[in-house]
Amino acid sequence: MAPTPDPNSVGGSAKQDEATLKVPSKDPKKKDEKKDEDLSEEDLELKQNLELYVERVQDPNPDLQKAALESMRQEIRASTSSMTSVPKPLKFLRPHYGTLKAFHETMPNSDLKKYLSDILSVLALTMSAEGERESLSFRLIGTEGDIGSWGHEYVRNLAGEIAQEYTKRQSEEASIDDLMELVQQIVAFHMKHNAETEAVDLLMDVEDLDLLLEHVDKTNFKRTCNYLTSAAKYLPGPDDMLVLDISYMIYMKFEEYPNALQIALFLDNTQYVKQVFTSCTDLLKKKQFCYMIARHGITFDLDDEMVADDDDREALQDIVNNTKLSEGYLTLARDIEVMEAKTPEDIYKAHLLDGRASSGASADSARQNLAATFVNAFVNAGFGQDKLMTVPSDSTTGSSGNWLFKNKEHGKTSAAASLGMIQLWDVDSGLSQLDKYFHSNDNPIIAGALLGVGIVNCGIKNDCDPALALLGDYIDKEDSSVRIGAIMGLGISYAGSQNDQIRSKLSPILNDAKAPLDVIAFASLSLGMIYVGSCNEEVAQSIIFALMDRSEAELGDALTRFLPLGLGLLYLGKQESVEATAEVSKTFNEKIRKYCDMTLLSCAYAGTGNVLKVQDLLAQCGEHLEKGDIHQGPAVLGLAMVAMSEELGVDMEIRSLERMLQYGEQNIRRAVPLALGLLCISNPKVTVMDTLSRLSHDTDSEVAMAAIISLGLIGAGTNNARIAGMLRNLSSYYYKDANLLFCVRIAQGLVHMGKGLLTLSPFHSERFLLSPTALAGIVTLLHACLDMKPIILGKYHYVLYFLVLAMQPRMMLTVDENLKPLSVPVRVGQAVDVVGQAGRPKTITGFQTHSTPVLLAAGERAELATDKYIPLSPILEGFIILKENPDYREE
Amino acid sequence: MVIKPDPNQPGSTHPVRILAYIETKKEEEGKFFFFDIACLGFKKEINLVSLQHQTMLTVSVKWQKKVFESIEIDTSQPPFVFKAQLYDLSGVPPERQKIMVKGGLLKDDADWSTLGLKNGQKLMMMGTADEIVKAPEKGPVFMEDLPEEQQAANLGYSAGLVNLGNTCYMNSTMQCLKSVPELKSELSNYQSARTKDVDQTSHMLTVATRELFSELDKSVKAVAPMPFWMVLQKKYPQFAQLHNGNHMQQDAEECWTQMLYTLSQSLKLPSPSEDPDAVKALFGLNLLNRLHCQESSEESSETESVFSLKCHISHEVNHLHEGLKHGLKGELEKTSPSLGRTAVYVKESLIDSLPRYLTVQFVRFFWKRESNQKAKILRKVDYPLELDIYDLCSEDLRKKLEAPRQKLRDIEGQKLGLQASAKSSSKGDDVKMTDAEGSSNQSGESSTGDQQEGASPHMTGIYDLVSVLTHKGRSADSGHYVAWVKQESGKWVQYDDANTSLQRGEDIIKLSGGGDWHMAYIVMYKARLISM
Repeated sequence: MAPTPDPNSVGGSAKQDEATLKVPSKDPKKKDEKKDEDLSEEDLELKQNLELYVERVQDPNPDLQKAALESMRQEIRASTSSMTSVPKPLKFLRPHYGTLKAFHETMPNSDLKKYLSDILSVLALTMSAEGERESLSFRLIGTEGDIGSWGHEYVRNLAGEIAQEYTKRQSEEASIDDLMELVQQIVAFHMKHNAETEAVDLLMDVEDLDLLLEHVDKTNFKRTCNYLTSAAKYLPGPDDMLVLDISYMIYMKFEEYPNALQIALFLDNTQYVKQVFTSCTDLLKKKQFCYMIARHGITFDLDDEMVADDDDREALQDIVNNTKLSEGYLTLARDIEVMEAKTPEDIYKAHLLDGRASSGASADSARQNLAATFVNAFVNAGFGQDKLMTVPSDSTTGSSGNWLFKNKEHGKTSAAASLGMIQLWDVDSGLSQLDKYFHSNDNPIIAGALLGVGIVNCGIKNDCDPALALLGDYIDKEDSSVRIGAIMGLGISYAGSQNDQIRSKLSPILNDAKAPLDVIAFASLSLGMIYVGSCNEEVAQSIIFALMDRSEAELGDALTRFLPLGLGLLYLGKQESVEATAEVSKTFNEKIRKYCDMTLLSCAYAGTGNVLKVQDLLAQCGEHLEKGDIHQGPAVLGLAMVAMSEELGVDMEIRSLERMLQYGEQNIRRAVPLALGLLCISNPKVTVMDTLSRLSHDTDSEVAMAAIISLGLIGAGTNNARIAGMLRNLSSYYYKDANLLFCVRIAQGLVHMGKGLLTLSPFHSERFLLSPTALAGIVTLLHACLDMKPIILGKYHYVLYFLVLAMQPRMMLTVDENLKPLSVPVRVGQAVDVVGQAGRPKTITGFQTHSTPVLLAAGERAELATDKYIPLSPILEGFIILKENPDYREE
Repeated sequence: MVIKPDPNQPGSTHPVRILAYIETKKEEEGKFFFFDIACLGFKKEINLVSLQHQTMLTVSVKWQKKVFESIEIDTSQPPFVFKAQLYDLSGVPPERQKIMVKGGLLKDDADWSTLGLKNGQKLMMMGTADEIVKAPEKGPVFMEDLPEEQQAANLGYSAGLVNLGNTCYMNSTMQCLKSVPELKSELSNYQSARTKDVDQTSHMLTVATRELFSELDKSVKAVAPMPFWMVLQKKYPQFAQLHNGNHMQQDAEECWTQMLYTLSQSLKLPSPSEDPDAVKALFGLNLLNRLHCQESSEESSETESVFSLKCHISHEVNHLHEGLKHGLKGELEKTSPSLGRTAVYVKESLIDSLPRYLTVQFVRFFWKRESNQKAKILRKVDYPLELDIYDLCSEDLRKKLEAPRQKLRDIEGQKLGLQASAKSSSKGDDVKMTDAEGSSNQSGESSTGDQQEGASPHMTGIYDLVSVLTHKGRSADSGHYVAWVKQESGKWVQYDDANTSLQRGEDIIKLSGGGDWHMAYIVMYKARLISM
């Protein structure tokens, strides 16, 4: 019903204009008059006033004009703008928009014209046709004054138009200077008025986030950065990096170092990490930083620039090296009172299964004993005591080696290595316990001892490099099981360290024509782990050559898959950096080419949530293959790897995997449970649990096995009663099938891992950071699970120990300034997403109050329930140093 | 020869543990020997010659949880000397010590200067004086390595039988019969050479049965009873009937009866002296029939030997016990010698002797005259895990049973007395229903009774359920037969042709009919014996 102004009526005398122009304005007025009856007196008066001003504006007398414009402006500004209705002055001025616009064009350039432009710009907010951007164009010719005085809605509208104008001008390569000036004003306005998200959005649209730095202040930087970091997940590269860069700088500007460090770790930028250390002067805070770095699991050496004092540096380096992890974990265990060692039978709970439990067999089953070995290792991981391996040697049952010898051949490797798992993180006692096996004359036992050393040292660094010292000599031994033990041990203990010394030892194996395939496969894996996410050219070269040297028959072997995987791990999460290598992989033998391609793609984009790559991988899975190509397995896993980074992606992925189950070929169906396991690792979602439970009875035993293992993965370390019940029933359902029963046992061990104190999730720090080594460990196991029979059910079952890379206590342990445990009350509840919310919203819901140390489940967050202490990190996970609050008053 | 004291062991703290390093220049250059003088016992004789230490380094060594602070290293001496120092501190023999220096192990003949040790450096030592793990002389035997028959023994129950084409009636019958250990031992005593008195086919069938049972015991996988099946058809051609080219579905009861008959014929002969009829002793029971004619009030009585009791199912019968009573009472028409015409006689039977294994057949199939076909009664008839047939016995037999029953009650009373929670549930009731647990206890007792066979076991009239043969299906000529057998371990196993699976005791008594589920057709009870 908007009256269209007559543009042709311009010309002649002003009076004539007046007359002609009055006509169109009268028509609506008549209509309005009917409505006017509803208007209150005040409104009527306002309306008449405004009409008067409109007339006066067109008066030839500049003073009168000016006065009219002033008054009009007053009226508009004075109106309280609410979001839900158009302000009254604007409403009453609507009919006159055309009139004023036409008059504006006739005006000569003057201040008055600018004044009118301002008003027209505001009016265009409601009047302008879609896409015309009149508001902006009037604004640009108006006074360059305070835009905020026209209200939020106006500014918001303007921002939207700027974004459109910007893209238009970019394509025309026109100048944007005038726009940017306006942007400055808008951003300043938004930042002052709690609209950080809009400021950020505008700046992202005009690609000039640096501007933000000038405008953030103490009150709003947290919300700004919060928005930036969570927006980064949905941005395409390289914008995401840019956004994080900015938020790093903002955090640094306001000395919010823990957050800055988090982002530095996310960006994998050592320079930034150093900067955090050099900028911060508080030693205690630096200790907290060290704890954060230790949790992330990267190798980081402090230098005197970062910490000047030698003793301090040593203390800090100790924290980075994770030497206190075992202590903290045991503190937690003692507090929760779970120190008592558990036997596999305690986990199986066979007494709850009436009738169907297998009758007490007189002979041991090697397969069942092996399963018990793993269950025992996982359940008692890190506790330093168990009831199979560490029983004192003088007990009545005989020597402590007894359980070891209840395992057969290669089973002894896993049994000896399980000692490493039980002593996890406690290098000193671990090594002394393992020592006796070094002197055995049985090769599998030596291999197990070597692997055990690697496991004990997982994530722990030590100046003496005990793992390298002990394992180094065994790499080139005759027996390939011993070699694999040493190689795998090195891979586990030095994962992510990029240790050149080890590379020079392992690389030659890859290109040794005489080395057996399994040794080469494990060497490739270990190198991939040690150089995880490093894009190291030389390692990549060696693996590529090793792949090219494989004969046709070797390429068909199940273990060959570890070669491309090792290569993929080098580029874990490094996105485009993989492209050159991916190009090379196209020249491989066609048997492995596609497998390699998929593995590289999935590793490189792991944890990025890149939608395009998800589509690529989906397209691969959509093909119906005729003969036994195996590359769709890693493609399905890749889907999960790429999408696992954030909740939305996970949910979407779970849905599309469901489709694949229905329409996919056999080899896809076999990988789907594993992908589900990865998506919800240590996070037992009920829907996924049900899907896996259904698949665990699948007629295809491979699907069933994968589903059972995945049930273990999603419940890993949770003690989830529902999964435990499901597995118990499966153990009686499959009591006759040794292979499936083995998988059930392993899954049971996983669910009760660390008696429920551990998690396998590679994500930490409120699901923001992704530990590359942890992901590498899980992905390796999943790739091994793509073909169970020859690997996990064959003689390479010890690949299960790769999970140790992802094992971390899911605890929150508060320590005082001397790093001694300190018990304080905390609230633990479901985390709430507070991004973009105004004020100080509650961050947790449905909380319970506990005293530290506490366990944190997936999706849970803790906050201090006392003001007596101040935590040195805003993310209450892992080790948290508490400082006394100087302002605290008792009651 | 150079002898020097251990630098870290001043005589005052460990007066007897002074180490001496003896360097022999002539024969074995560069090698060190060390003696624990205390052990050798000539501590006083040796003069200690102290050496000059030109280059001393102080390091600390971490071993397990301990740290040995400020250990001096004489860099002019080979590392072995250092290891000897550590031996004294930790008790770890030098050859077991692994000292880690910057990612490498300290070798006995290494040169200190190349290692680049610094003053105050921390070293780490690994090693224990623990006994080296040795494999036990006799390694464990794993199930996977065992021959097949032992694996079967470990499983706790024997294998299933493959269906050869509508042979489920035979398979389930044989599985039930196999559960009688006494029958198995009788069979194993059976001579392979045929005696004259047994006809050829019976002999062959007996041998085939024996072979089948032993094969079942040895095997883990299901057995295809081909030879047995051939012999059975030869002996009883009715089982070889074909219908549309397939073997016809047969009645398991017929198979059961024929098998018992054959076995009783062939097993009776070899040892006529002590046990004239083994099968009869196991399964046979004598009935005392009393015929009574209401018209003429004549009475006559006779004894009859049967292999099983019949449970007739009428509208009033809800329970096995009622069915049995019903089955033992009947009317028949017979020429009355006094009346000289046929008259209606009432026949009442009582049990005169009890078998070790009591077989009861549920008469579920009958010939429907109006439709001219065999029909099935689906009615639910409960049966207990523990059956008392005292009131079906004749007067004489009851007298004999009194004393053993009293004793059994005493024993049970004692047991219940011990169990505070036990209820006086089953007292005074003819038929006792106990839960699965209770029955397994009692079966344990019955097996102890077996062991004391020499000490004259006595019948008590109480029987425990040991096997059930069920039929599933609506009509007699179709459906499926399955055997449910209690193992010596007390567990129930379902033998559904080749498939075997463990079952719970409470599921067994649910096979009582009344629906489309498996329902009991033949049940076998084992006598509970008590030694007096």
